[in-house]
Amino acid sequence: MLKPILTAALCLSTTAAFAQENDPWAFEEGSEAKSWNLFAEIPATFEATVVDLLCEVAGNCVDNCGDGRRQLGLLRSADDMLIYPNKNAQSSFNGATADLLPYCGQVVEVDGLILDDPDLGATNIYLLQTIRVAGETEWQKANQWTKVWAENHPEAEGKGPWFRRDPRVLAEIAREGYFGLGLEKDEEIKDVIFE
Amino acid sequence: MRKRNAIAGLLVPALMALGSPAFANEGERVQVTGEIMDTWCYFSGVMGGPDAVVGSAHHTCALWCSAGGIPVGLLAEDGTVYMILKIEEDDASAGGDTQLTLASHEVTADGMLYQRDGLNYLVVEEVVSDLDITNLNAEDLGTIPPFAIPKGER
Repeated sequence: MLKPILTAALCLSTTAAFAQENDPWAFEEGSEAKSWNLFAEIPATFEATVVDLLCEVAGNCVDNCGDGRRQLGLLRSADDMLIYPNKNAQSSFNGATADLLPYCGQVVEVDGLILDDPDLGATNIYLLQTIRVAGETEWQKANQWTKVWAENHPEAEGKGPWFRRDPRVLAEIAREGYFGLGLEKDEEIKDVIFE
Repeated sequence: MRKRNAIAGLLVPALMALGSPAFANEGERVQVTGEIMDTWCYFSGVMGGPDAVVGSAHHTCALWCSAGGIPVGLLAEDGTVYMILKIEEDDASAGGDTQLTLASHEVTADGMLYQRDGLNYLVVEEVVSDLDITNLNAEDLGTIPPFAIPKGER
């Protein structure tokens, strides 16, 4: 008897509170983020704490935010909204963990682009462009991913972008082809689309 | 019964007044079927519309994004996106091996769902089934992006 009432009350209160509190335009003032010409982008700069998402969301916590293995989030100081940085400032398929990890557990200021496209489920998605410890003057560009990758993959040194040289990506393509359907099917599709 | 109603009468207004997303962050057991996908390309539209950034046409890009540490999601049949934080014993959601080998695959995942601030977070406890890639859209769309296959290998 009590459980359904409590569950309904929690759902109602959560939905109502989220609708009231979540204004993706509220953090535009002061932002110097560069546009990526994305349909749903909104400049946003704010103060937040860098958190391990698996720890913050599900209570599964490890030391140092997972040492780079785990996705990291931004718990915004102004409204306790959990923001998910999907992307860093680089243009070659890189996430934001490498740029956030040095600040694990710290209060930082960030600048970037919020993506707000509820039709696709994109709410509180963030493209991180710059970051600094709260109160400091110097911004750091969020472009560390390729540097960390190069340090971890000295054997893959060479010309061209990282994703053409990454050993794991190359192994997957060698095993399953560019379309992931096996090498024989790969050739069949290539014959069709590149004829 | 009267005592229970009295407790509910006290607790419900208190909970509604709190209205805190964190307070409501209880996990729920779910089983979801869908495609393991690259959330940035899907959310941003940077490679085209939602239908272009899934399936065999987008597989190579999905590998790049997964290896590059872009969050991986599960796009369910009803269009809901679940942000994956862990797959079985592998908590490497930022570029890990398990999610890389599942890129573009249709899977059924059993696990815990956490809803927080407008996003659905999924902790996968078991991949119940893995049907490999079932969205065979490359013949129609080619490669997304067009440079996915190097010129020398076309």
